[in-house]
Amino acid sequence: MQTGILAGIKHGETVLETRGITKRFPGVLANDHIDFEMKAGEVHAILGENGAGKSTFMNILFGLLQPDEGEIYVAGKKVKFHSPLDAIELGIGMVHQHRKLVSAHTVLENIILGHPNAGRILNLKKTGEEIDALCQRYGFKIDLKAKVWQLSEGEKQVVEILKALYRGAKILILDEPTSALAPPEVDKLLASIEAMTGDELAMIPFITHKLPIVLSTSDRVTILRRGRVTARLETKNATERSLAKDMVGREVVFRLESVEVEKGPLVLEVENLSTRNDKGALALNGVSFSIREGEIFGIAGISGNGQQELAEVLAGLRKAEGGKVMLEGKDITHASSLERWQTGVGYIPAERVDVGSIGDFTLVENVAMNYYFDHEFSRYGVVDYKKMGALTEEIIEEFSVATPSADTVGKNLSGGNLQKLILGRVFSRRPRLLIANLPTQGLDVGAIEFVQNKLIEAKKERAAVLLISEDLDEVLSLSDWVAPIYEGEFMGVIPGKEAEKDSVGAMMAGSRLEEVVA
Amino acid sequence: MKVGGYEVKLEKRILLPGWKAAAISILAIFVALFLFGFIFLQDGVNPLVAYREIFSYAFFNPFGFPLTINRFIFLLLATYAFIIPFRAGLWNIGMPGQLYFGALGAYAVVFALGGHLSRTAALSPIIVIPLMLLGSALAGAGYGAIAGFLKGKYNINEIVVTMILNFIAFWLVAFMIKEGGLFMNPGGRGESFELPDSLHAPLVGGTPFTILLALGLAVLLYWVFAKTRIGYQIKAYGLSPAAAKYAGISSFKIPLLVFILGGAIAGWAGYHYFAAVPGVFKISRNYGFFGDLAFYGLIAGLISLGNSLTAIPVALLFAGLSVGGRFVQGKLHMGFGLDYALLGVLMITLVIFQFFYRNKIVWEKIEKERLDVGISR
Repeated sequence: MQTGILAGIKHGETVLETRGITKRFPGVLANDHIDFEMKAGEVHAILGENGAGKSTFMNILFGLLQPDEGEIYVAGKKVKFHSPLDAIELGIGMVHQHRKLVSAHTVLENIILGHPNAGRILNLKKTGEEIDALCQRYGFKIDLKAKVWQLSEGEKQVVEILKALYRGAKILILDEPTSALAPPEVDKLLASIEAMTGDELAMIPFITHKLPIVLSTSDRVTILRRGRVTARLETKNATERSLAKDMVGREVVFRLESVEVEKGPLVLEVENLSTRNDKGALALNGVSFSIREGEIFGIAGISGNGQQELAEVLAGLRKAEGGKVMLEGKDITHASSLERWQTGVGYIPAERVDVGSIGDFTLVENVAMNYYFDHEFSRYGVVDYKKMGALTEEIIEEFSVATPSADTVGKNLSGGNLQKLILGRVFSRRPRLLIANLPTQGLDVGAIEFVQNKLIEAKKERAAVLLISEDLDEVLSLSDWVAPIYEGEFMGVIPGKEAEKDSVGAMMAGSRLEEVVA
Repeated sequence: MKVGGYEVKLEKRILLPGWKAAAISILAIFVALFLFGFIFLQDGVNPLVAYREIFSYAFFNPFGFPLTINRFIFLLLATYAFIIPFRAGLWNIGMPGQLYFGALGAYAVVFALGGHLSRTAALSPIIVIPLMLLGSALAGAGYGAIAGFLKGKYNINEIVVTMILNFIAFWLVAFMIKEGGLFMNPGGRGESFELPDSLHAPLVGGTPFTILLALGLAVLLYWVFAKTRIGYQIKAYGLSPAAAKYAGISSFKIPLLVFILGGAIAGWAGYHYFAAVPGVFKISRNYGFFGDLAFYGLIAGLISLGNSLTAIPVALLFAGLSVGGRFVQGKLHMGFGLDYALLGVLMITLVIFQFFYRNKIVWEKIEKERLDVGISR
């Protein structure tokens, strides 16, 4: 292990400090004079919405970007990073949100990949023992011989942390550390963070919206909004509400109350629907349900239990293996996706970047994705881009999409703004059936609130809404009916008012309604 | 990197205005000509003299210029045969095969009407020439459709398929025109029968009417991709097949359609060279040369970033250099293959310079007080 200038640092001493960090991108002031300071053994969370400048700041701290102005001090010494190698050498490690691991290699091979002391001939035995020692010290449990593709998201994160620690990191930058983890894995991570800070390591988690995590783990928190520090405080003086206010700049309604809407006739009837996943296995196994006008039907489940396939088969993107789908009395089981768009189905896909939009298309062209086939917008095979532009402007206005113009390309939008655009595009078709697959996943607090309000609005406007979500609170607070899904089957269908977190949680894990009630 | 008192850095471009792309390409051409100058120097030829000869023969000589124009039409059509699938994210490497089929298609029409029997056969050009165009387009389209169908239906790689189809088409032409073939020249010179005089393509200002076809396509394609529904669908599929599927665009029809259209245009390239260029009017013995030449359509398509209007100057330059290069090779007694070497150097330079479409070089003055990373090694 290396000994850098951080080697002998004592608890409570300042390890990292920035003064007046400023970074400009064309048209954007991403970081505006950020002052930041942290001590050994401290967890100092950085909180901010998408586009608040968190990633820019994180990349500056790790040497991936160079600031236009401002200074960085490590253990009181002024430093300049030319690349991440400089940062690593000084003892700064980074755990990426999108794991950068070689999936065909073992855990051990990944940890030593690129390690300066690895040499040409690998001493796997000695390295393995050293890493085992690290694991014991901080309570990580991982099989070093396992291949990375066999690991869960939580285990992959452990590999990333070990990789940084093995390189001698004293300061760990954690990018959205809990976003892809299942609840038990989150608990394990938090325990390890505690063990590491006990050892004088400093942690900087960057978090978008999981405020409870900030409250339970961090000692201090710095909040960014539009590239500026809006608050810097001791976590014990903060509440979920105060954090959200500093982050968004206004009061945020946390849980929306579902609105009662007079129910109309049946819009969607699904009988015994089955379909296969991409690997050919039965993913959805004989599901039956129906949705009326003005109802939100919520499907709660841990990802990979068939909800993705259900959304796709209803949107016409996947073939039904058996069963029947009726839309307002019409059989659409075998209709193409185009026919479904034209008869009043609207689909908001979970993969908003890869499926719901095209990064190299302008916003106008992105809006055209759900309109190019409409008579009103394309006559005799010629698209009326003028009209399409006017519609796009309306959507940008009504759904408060933050963008320089309608001719910006999609990849320049942040996740939340892209989702608003997709939502606006699908909503503006006034679909009879709205399928929303993970509509708030990965969004920040303000955008989540916005999307949820729009779902309620769709219900008020008498659409039938199918909401698929992994966020149990979201499903419970919005839905008129709740159907927990497990291995391609509904474990029961419960009226939203009667659904309780514990019983629905148990059903998501495979218990049937009868068992839960009994 | 440090150069003198400046720090030189690479930065990613976010936007590339059209005029900058053009400026980069023009710079690349000058760099390529400069580099190739050393080859002339090596042979003791003044590069400036050589280039003057090349350009004046290709563009200002009464014998050279028509050759350039005919080659330009051919290259432009080959470029469009590449561009249409390219906009759908697919690579048509099958222009040679498709243009061979186009030539066979055109000659099949003449053969069916008995035009192979005599050079004085009285066939009405107003009826038969459109039929020949139709025949070449259908044959090229049909041959292209194989790759499009296999891609759309079974997701089989279109590059491999079109490449293999090229070999098949090459030998099929040989089978048809060499000894014993249906289209064989009665003289048995390893080439096809000659077109009856009545079917020689009409000229527009000394140039075959196919130039109108090629330039018309330039405008048409530009409009199709900018304004029409089908153009929108092709672009969407090209940028993201998954997003296109979500938008209800068929992942079977688009690959099939672009290869049908690309193949049809390649078919016209075959018609142009073997049935419209004055002085040819037969499937010549060296038909393979033109198949190879069609690959420059691929390069022209890439350099013009799939834009059918930008492709015009690019194809014209390639045509001129290939004609002029061959000319100076003879005139200045230089080594064989000079024209191809020149095109090759130009091509590689243009492709390398595309790096600057995505990146730019930035100069920054280094501050006086240089702060170093505090590492004790």
